Amino acid sequence: MKLKKQIELDVDQTLASLDAVSRVVPEPYFFTRVMARLNKGEKGFWGSALVFLSRPVIAFATIIIAICANAFIYFQSSNDSSKSSTQGEQLFATEYNLSDNTIYDSTTEPE
Amino acid sequence: MVYNTAIGILQNTEDAEDVAQEVFVQVYESIKSFKAESKFSTWLYRITVSKALDHLRRKKRKKRFAYVQSLFGANSETIIEKPDFNHPGIKLDNKERAALLFKAIGQLPENQKIAFTLHKLEGLSYQEISEVMKTSVSSVESLMHRAKNNLKKWLTRHYENDD
Repeated sequence: MKLKKQIELDVDQTLASLDAVSRVVPEPYFFTRVMARLNKGEKGFWGSALVFLSRPVIAFATIIIAICANAFIYFQSSNDSSKSSTQGEQLFATEYNLSDNTIYDSTTEPE
Repeated sequence: MVYNTAIGILQNTEDAEDVAQEVFVQVYESIKSFKAESKFSTWLYRITVSKALDHLRRKKRKKRFAYVQSLFGANSETIIEKPDFNHPGIKLDNKERAALLFKAIGQLPENQKIAFTLHKLEGLSYQEISEVMKTSVSSVESLMHRAKNNLKKWLTRHYENDD
């Protein structure tokens, strides 16, 4: 087993291994690649808007909102039409005395 | 300066080059928002550190997501990570020790990693590091102290288990 002192020496030497580090330079044509990226990145308002809308989160959120809005309008309108049809049925029944079950219920006298 | 800082934080030459390009694009796009309240170099370091950390977090998320995908049997690309990082600026006789130290630095919490990298690789003073990290000099001293302690612990454990 290594001596504790040897381990401490190793640790100190390892910590000191960065003391003489020299600066690193990027690969050749780095500037060319940056310029190419800058030129590629120039887009107008519509381009930026399209990029924003095409992000998956935004696209899914828009679809879900559209589906929810459609479902809300559909259920709302089907409720309204069922209410109005019930009212129409009642009006029809009242006018033709269809709710009268026996002759004694009828308010009009037979001619 | 930008590439050197990025390579110290990311420990990967390709990633460092990507991040360095992103930094220069960001500087070009947001130069108008630079109010000269701090030095230009401080601003540049801040952007570099922020982009490098974002890149690291994205990489970790990608790894985690790939792991979850693999549990469901989905085919995902193999993410190959180099085991040891050899910094191009280290002399040959120190390469092995430096690679081990970089491995240990990779285990540090983000703030300690940033402070240690800026001090050791960029040679920034504690005052300059505090301006980059928008914190006090005493906080930087504390970060450096904790970073060195953590590195010593990690290296000691490594050398003890190495027997």
